[in-house]
Amino acid sequence: MRRGLNGVRTLTMLIALLLLAMPQAAAQRQKKSPPAVAREAPHSPIGEVKREQQPGARESVQADVSARNVAVTSSFNGTEIVIFGAVDNSQQPSAESGYYDVLIVVEGVPTRTVARRKNNVAGLWLNTAAATFDLVPSYYAIASTRPIDEITTEEFRATHGIGFQQLRFAPAFGEAQGLSTEDLAEFRRAIIRLKRKQGLYVQDPFSVAFIGRSLFRATIELPANVTVGPFETRVYLFREEKLLSQYAVRLNLEREGVERHLHAFAFGYPTLYGLMTVMIAVAAGLTASTVFRKSTH
Amino acid sequence: MTFYLPVAEMSANILIFLAMSAAVGFLSGLFGVGGGFLMTPLLIFSGVPPAVAVGTEPAQIVASSVSGALAQWRRRNIDFLMGGVLLVGGIVGAALGVELVGNLRRRGIFDVFVAISYVTFLGVVGTLMLIESLNTMRKARGGILAASRRSGQHNWMHGLPFKMRFHRSKLYISAVPPLFIGLFGGLLAALMGVGGGFLMVPAMIYLLRVPTSVVLGTSLFQIVFLTAVTTVLQASQNQTVDAMLAVLLMLGGVIGAQFGTIAAERFKAEQLRFLLATLVLLVGLRFAWQLIAPPADLYSISTGLE
Repeated sequence: MRRGLNGVRTLTMLIALLLLAMPQAAAQRQKKSPPAVAREAPHSPIGEVKREQQPGARESVQADVSARNVAVTSSFNGTEIVIFGAVDNSQQPSAESGYYDVLIVVEGVPTRTVARRKNNVAGLWLNTAAATFDLVPSYYAIASTRPIDEITTEEFRATHGIGFQQLRFAPAFGEAQGLSTEDLAEFRRAIIRLKRKQGLYVQDPFSVAFIGRSLFRATIELPANVTVGPFETRVYLFREEKLLSQYAVRLNLEREGVERHLHAFAFGYPTLYGLMTVMIAVAAGLTASTVFRKSTH
Repeated sequence: MTFYLPVAEMSANILIFLAMSAAVGFLSGLFGVGGGFLMTPLLIFSGVPPAVAVGTEPAQIVASSVSGALAQWRRRNIDFLMGGVLLVGGIVGAALGVELVGNLRRRGIFDVFVAISYVTFLGVVGTLMLIESLNTMRKARGGILAASRRSGQHNWMHGLPFKMRFHRSKLYISAVPPLFIGLFGGLLAALMGVGGGFLMVPAMIYLLRVPTSVVLGTSLFQIVFLTAVTTVLQASQNQTVDAMLAVLLMLGGVIGAQFGTIAAERFKAEQLRFLLATLVLLVGLRFAWQLIAPPADLYSISTGLE
């Protein structure tokens, strides 16, 4: 149901963007910009459209996601987000020309994460060492038209935090950890490796595809174990390792329905929630015994 | 068909969880046990965080034992004073246990603690049951009736202070042993997510010498209240009770138990005990394997819940 709705929304948005991007469409100039695409738009869409006819003008990129708000309900089993955008003033001759490079980074809520290492103690495998890191992105996805090291310089990736090695999470301040630098680096690598294994850190170097001279799209998977919260999506447009334009849009993963209420109840009024659970249990037990006693007689 | 569990924060297949709880319900009906010591391990093996499995299972035990306790009450098979003393100890034990769960989780060693506890308890209980059932079966085959256990003297208990008169059990003993037995049961409920019947029943029979006619009712009475208190404590202190998961487990468990009770009539008691002992040992071995097998990955990560 929800997916169906998202699909319809994606389609309408895509059509709206297609109209906006087609230079031949005469009607598009009078057309209003699509509903609030930009929160941090570098230029207003109307201005973009006007400049589209000038040959030497600078390119700029705009983008949006298929669903700004994703609901985590009791049937939530991961979801797929479509990120689509358009290059205004595209100089690209065709979709296949590879004239531009697009790089998309989706980052989930930064959280405190503890990494632990097991060691064999007297035959048993026990957690003996641990390191706490702050601001570890709960989710991190990179989608691009080509491998990121071919698109950008290492310097750029370092300053913009692009790539797993460039993530800026740091050992938690004030935690008496007593670990060597090598140990910390080892724990850091372990976090990235495990997050990748859980499908929470993903990198797909060919997942952004141009559909026309200016329109592009990418699909990213949010697995079922993803942490709810806001997701920052950054879209970068490159031409020969040079950043031409960038754009940011936010999407939100929220608990909804019974999920939302139960979770809020469990963490907001824990004692009351415990009492409710017990009452449900008592009611369930008593109901079952009456039902089955009747049916056996 | 999947279902997102709000506290466990995982997506669960409803059918698998219903089937699991129905199977455990069937076994608990078949063997006349609570089933917590089978359900909690199954939950852990299927990916529920150990703390949530341990925190949620007591809620299911409330549901599965409340009607039994009521039936025993109608038949006047409950020694309320004995149950009350056990319960006082149990609540103290549960409170300590819940506190310990929080502490162990913060230090990242709760998973291992649960595994070690299960290996120990299931190993001991399973082995004892296996030996006992094998002996009974051998004697039955030889045509000799199993000798009833001679009652020991337990004189040391009479030296303890705070003597109380338990009318229904026809006992005049110190309140200290039942308090400590209850305390231990409470610790197990909080740390392992079990009702503790497998410990309470033998302890009442062999240590306290409560008449067998009131043992079952009294232990059921104390288990209902102990697991109810444990559920509330886990929810308020550790936020590890998943109500959705609990409801799923109750549904499957209640249905399974009905069929288990019917099936139990076709087996001999010692055969059932042998089967249960084997099952208990297998679950214990599974935990032992987890502890001694070289892990696929030396590292693990956690955010918030383990």
